[in-house]
Amino acid sequence: MNVVITPAMLAQVIVSGILAGSLYAMVALGLGLIFGVMRVINIAHGPLLMLGAYATYFLTTGAGLNPFLTVPIAMALLFVVGVALQRTLVFRVVDAPELSSLLLTFGISIALVNLAQLAFTSDLRAVEYITGAWVVGGLALSKPRVIAFLFAAGVTALSFVLLKSTRLGKAIRATSQSREVAMVCGVDVARIHMLTFGFASALAAAGGALLAMIVAIQPEMGGVWTFKSFLVIVLGGAGNYPGALVGGLLLGLVEQVASLFLTTQLSEVVAYVLLVLVLLVRPSGLLGGRQT
Amino acid sequence: MTPKAPAALAVALALAVGGVVPATAQAPIRIGASLSLTGTYAKLGKNQHEGYQICEKELNAKGGLLGRKVQFVVYDDQSMPATAVRLYEKLITEDKVDGVMGPYSSPVTEASVNVTEKYKKVMVAPLAATTSIFKRPPGQKRNYVFMVISPAEVYLEGLLDTGVKRGLKTVAVVNEDTLFSKAAASGAEEVAKKKGLQVVFKEAYPKGNTDFSALLTKVKAANPDIVAAATYFDDAVALTRQMKELAVNPKMFGVTVGGDLPEFYDTLKQNAEYIYGATQWEHVLPYPGNQEFFDSYKKEFNHEPSYHSAAGYAGCLIYAEGVKRANSLDADRVREQLLKLEMRTPFGDYKVDQDGFQVAHKMVTFQWQKEKKVIVWPEDLAKGKPLFPTPPWTSR
Repeated sequence: MNVVITPAMLAQVIVSGILAGSLYAMVALGLGLIFGVMRVINIAHGPLLMLGAYATYFLTTGAGLNPFLTVPIAMALLFVVGVALQRTLVFRVVDAPELSSLLLTFGISIALVNLAQLAFTSDLRAVEYITGAWVVGGLALSKPRVIAFLFAAGVTALSFVLLKSTRLGKAIRATSQSREVAMVCGVDVARIHMLTFGFASALAAAGGALLAMIVAIQPEMGGVWTFKSFLVIVLGGAGNYPGALVGGLLLGLVEQVASLFLTTQLSEVVAYVLLVLVLLVRPSGLLGGRQT
Repeated sequence: MTPKAPAALAVALALAVGGVVPATAQAPIRIGASLSLTGTYAKLGKNQHEGYQICEKELNAKGGLLGRKVQFVVYDDQSMPATAVRLYEKLITEDKVDGVMGPYSSPVTEASVNVTEKYKKVMVAPLAATTSIFKRPPGQKRNYVFMVISPAEVYLEGLLDTGVKRGLKTVAVVNEDTLFSKAAASGAEEVAKKKGLQVVFKEAYPKGNTDFSALLTKVKAANPDIVAAATYFDDAVALTRQMKELAVNPKMFGVTVGGDLPEFYDTLKQNAEYIYGATQWEHVLPYPGNQEFFDSYKKEFNHEPSYHSAAGYAGCLIYAEGVKRANSLDADRVREQLLKLEMRTPFGDYKVDQDGFQVAHKMVTFQWQKEKKVIVWPEDLAKGKPLFPTPPWTSR
């Protein structure tokens, strides 16, 4: 009773996979940056994304702004939140054993989710703005997802320009390669840590803001994004920033194609089996870790 | 005076006072319940609690039960089955309550019922819809648990029946891979088979799934007349949005839980139009006492009751009726009465088979029409006609 898979269907899911993958790449880039620069795995990355989603929700319904206009505002707000978190808490665990940073960010994550439940309740909310599809040939292109893709591609491209060509970006990459040498060369490492955490939170917020127009939002929506981002940076190579792009698109495609040929339930299995395989064959990720 | 004298005096006084007041001054009948007042089910558990409270108030206004006042003893299980087990144990052994009522949800009931069976306590479980709690394999029968709401398996019956009557031939069934949704989906398959509908596609998706693109691409290729989705709330919303995004256009689309919440329309706005849903209860249904319940509930709690409130209220009334007819709190005598009781409550009909399994209560199917849920099935309770067929997304 199941359906025969046609090339048109495959094309459709490949499009869906690229659209989803662009968001994975952008959000995971943030997690990758924090890991690269501070060797901290930020479990609170997903909850920060959730805060970005709520920022868009309240700016849209409360202040009546156009939802797409709220994306940069959400990013700016969460940049500030990220900097504050780094200044007050995260800087304490940068040189501590990795378990300490895991515990700390896990704690931050629980606190953020529960505060959000208190402040926003667990009711589902959504920003119903542009819905529906553009039908091109046999393909249905989801309007909100295509627009989210364009935003994500733009933000990711700008991030790479920032990392490659600006003094700040160079300082971030230098700190990521060797903190001591960067320090000797006159880089203010503490400031770089702070800005990186803020910037990474802004990337998560951009993801949340765009997701708010695609799925219903609730305080616990972030958890799965922490895991997916982690998967992406391990796939691409932890600490290797272009690796996030490759890993993100790959995860999006694998999930969608596996859901088509197998079932939606098995697609997650496939994604994690892929992770294990990559770790076995190329332990440092597809693009290798930690070079920039 | 000896040290015992004041106590003796007090007893004498109490006896003297007791002698002149009516029977209601006897110790109240205490009914214990563990409810999900915090945690994931908090919203629904609270509504159920409020249903119990209305019932308590109403029974006492009518002179109580067996001439005694009724008093609920309620604890919070934080939506956790293990906690509920402990609380029922405490209610029965330490608090020594006279009777118990069920907790919220199938998983919590499934865990708690082991305790109430152990101590032979009748438990009317108003918010447990899973068949396997009541229908047991031989040797593991449960004797004292009673069902109030309709089982998961019949949620999609109205949708399919409405479709078949309009000449539809094929259906795709999708469901979340959890206890309730699985039961609802397999029930839908059964109904489809019975009514001669062909199931052209069936697939489950994991809890918490947000991307249905590939699943819906397959549904679109199978081109069913009806899409029947056994959902909770967030997946119902996500499926609807993504059906529009992928231009999936069945002649009917229906969901189970979640579709009946006002939030469903608030979230989807006009995209919720034409969608079918199933519900255990609506306040517009012409059951006796329903309107009165709705009004007094709204007055008491400043918000409208959900079906959880109504089921809690009705469950409590059913238990009270059983006690009244047994003229006793004895579990075996109450059980006997509850097994043969046939009662029309504000929540609908109550009648159970020998396993305590609900057989009379009816689910109703509604369709979202112009921001309102219009009941379209079954015909004897319908308030309007379904808008059929659902137009394609592009012409809505």
